[in-house]
Amino acid sequence: MQEEEEFIKQLLDSKTQNVAFQKLLSTYQKPLYNHIRNIVLNHDDTDDVLQNTFVKIFQNLKNFKGESKLFSWMYRIAANEAISFLNQKAKKSGISSQIIQDKALDNLRADVYFDGNEIQLKLQQAIATLPEKQQLVFKMKYFEELKYEEISEILGTSVGALKASYHHAVKKIESFLTTD
Amino acid sequence: MKEFKLEDNPKITTGFVTPDNYFEDFSAKFMQNLPLNETPEVKVIPLYKKSSTIISLIAAVFVIALMLPIFNQSPAITTSAEIDQASLENYLSYQTNVSQYDLINSLETEDLENLNETTTTTLEQETIEDLLVDNGNLEHYIME
Repeated sequence: MQEEEEFIKQLLDSKTQNVAFQKLLSTYQKPLYNHIRNIVLNHDDTDDVLQNTFVKIFQNLKNFKGESKLFSWMYRIAANEAISFLNQKAKKSGISSQIIQDKALDNLRADVYFDGNEIQLKLQQAIATLPEKQQLVFKMKYFEELKYEEISEILGTSVGALKASYHHAVKKIESFLTTD
Repeated sequence: MKEFKLEDNPKITTGFVTPDNYFEDFSAKFMQNLPLNETPEVKVIPLYKKSSTIISLIAAVFVIALMLPIFNQSPAITTSAEIDQASLENYLSYQTNVSQYDLINSLETEDLENLNETTTTTLEQETIEDLLVDNGNLEHYIME
């Protein structure tokens, strides 16, 4: 925690800011990319959202009060940015964000940056049938392998509720993959 | 039908891939565009704006110069509340119906005493003599 405080000080100090932000980027760009990609599915959209996320992180660092861990604060920003991106895209196209997500799923097969096989594609389709919050919990636990405590800090939900949510998600996915 | 169990099967990954060197490029590109240690931008004042200001200033001076004769022709309006002695005398003599008798009547006893005092104390003997020498008619009036 003390290390993190020191790191935040370096990020805010104009003398050390450059090196510190480079370190922040190299540490968190991959996990944040995966987190965003799991939500928006498409690489180009993920690239845009990732840039916006780091800009927001940089702009709001001075307001970061250290009430939560730096990583969970950044994950929250990334998730919010990804969800608002999908909502804005849906609004622009005049369709619901569910349809946007279905379209992204349909495009996955032809996506050059998707190297998945049939079962991977089926899993994505199964996830898409879940409610939004359950989708997020499942992806964070199963794909990103975050601990329940970490997910709890990011989403502001109790560990018990998260466990229940994940359990329900797994059951629904297994049922989808069995019948399909 | 065999039930599918996520835990029993090998871990299914997302299948998402990124372009080659994506993260290295992203990092470099992002750091280039980030406004780190940026000095405040110096305000640039375009030259054409400055010249337009000068031109409008010169035009304003010309307009004022042309308007000056018009302002000078207009009658001066006296705003002062005080009216000079001569104007008051002229007005009382020619423009009103106030007679000498009215003036005397309007004087209070106190005013008369003050008038007396000033005439007796301020006028020296020599001054009276000089006045009588210069104005022969006055002697005639006194005699009357």
